[in-house]
Amino acid sequence: MIKHHPTLEMLEQFSQGALPASLSVAISAHVEMCPCCAKKVAAYELENSNMVFDDGFTGELDMDFDQMMSSITADSSADVAKAYEPEVIEYHNAKAIVPRAIASVTRSNFSHVGKLSRARLELDDGDARASLLQIAPGGEIPNHTHTGFELTLLLDGSFEDESGSYVAGDFIWLDGRHSHTPKTKDGCLCFTLVNSALHFNKGLSKLLNPIGNLIY
Amino acid sequence: MVSQTPTSAAPLKSGYNKSMEETPTQALSEALVEVAEQRDRNAFSVLFKYFAPKIKRFGIKQYGSEAMAMELVQDTMTSVWRKAHLYNKDKGAATTWVYTVMRNASFDALRKIKSKKEDHISEDIWPTLQESYTSDDGFNDHLQDKQIQKYISCLPIAQQEVVKGVYFQEMSQEQLAEQLNIPVGTVKSRLRLALQKLRAEMGDSHD
Repeated sequence: MIKHHPTLEMLEQFSQGALPASLSVAISAHVEMCPCCAKKVAAYELENSNMVFDDGFTGELDMDFDQMMSSITADSSADVAKAYEPEVIEYHNAKAIVPRAIASVTRSNFSHVGKLSRARLELDDGDARASLLQIAPGGEIPNHTHTGFELTLLLDGSFEDESGSYVAGDFIWLDGRHSHTPKTKDGCLCFTLVNSALHFNKGLSKLLNPIGNLIY
Repeated sequence: MVSQTPTSAAPLKSGYNKSMEETPTQALSEALVEVAEQRDRNAFSVLFKYFAPKIKRFGIKQYGSEAMAMELVQDTMTSVWRKAHLYNKDKGAATTWVYTVMRNASFDALRKIKSKKEDHISEDIWPTLQESYTSDDGFNDHLQDKQIQKYISCLPIAQQEVVKGVYFQEMSQEQLAEQLNIPVGTVKSRLRLALQKLRAEMGDSHD
């Protein structure tokens, strides 16, 4: 059972196309895995369309519109729906389907640091960095806080931290108020999105702070 | 502009009142279907006259620029003309479908400005617009296949073999046992396990 969802406000803004690309990709991926959020998004789309299109407003149709209409219909061919083959990713002896929005973005090869493997998505979305992250069985990320926000969407497997355990589809949003030590018994695959470096809190792992950017 | 009759304080959030007299819902849906099926230019002009001014108004509010608003009209109405066959009137009103087309066009346009990217990722972020808007016709059976294949590809290889043999190559369980060189009982039990798993997986995301 998915327990962690985007807020209603996020879903509404998502339905309006008003969120940055990286966050839209994350919410789209969650919605693909979560039928109840999919329903909510559909309800918002209906509501939005009523606000934009269902009123008595009738604008003037001037010359520009006439020209536009005939230039559009000059070509009578139609678009063929883009064929889509779901991407299946193999990691640590497990297989998982990569949600469509994530799979559609070009990404780097996986680079490995200990039990972590990370592939960066090339989204070019300001300071937001989106990645696919694999954590091998028994893997742990040292206790850290976030200087900005950290979004984790668990795609496959499970992990737990101080606040509980998570299942595939969980959409976990953390910011500077939270510190945690995620670990996974059987390994997992996540989509992560951060807008600044992780800050490690304890002992030797503080040595990682200068490269916090590289890990997530 | 919101409503003709004075209603309760927050009409937009819950139970936004759609006034059927004002919105020719049925006529718009029919026009969209005619555009799809017959490439009917008169039907398109019905849609164009209804939507273009409203999209322009939305664009001006959104961008504060008439030029960009007109580009949004152009992009949206071009997609309506070229993708009308992806609309399914059983799944919702034409207005809702056109809204999603416009929302996607607007998202891609803003991304082009912000990131200098022309990757049109809206199609993958909101894929409902592409495919799942069709249902219960031959075309969609093919899509159901795809959906099922996606789940099948996650089964263990041994189970995949029997599912594909029986359902995609239409072999009998006996033929399959012979080809894979395993007892018929094993084919049966693998198939049962596979179907259980598929049912659980698909049930999860389809209710």
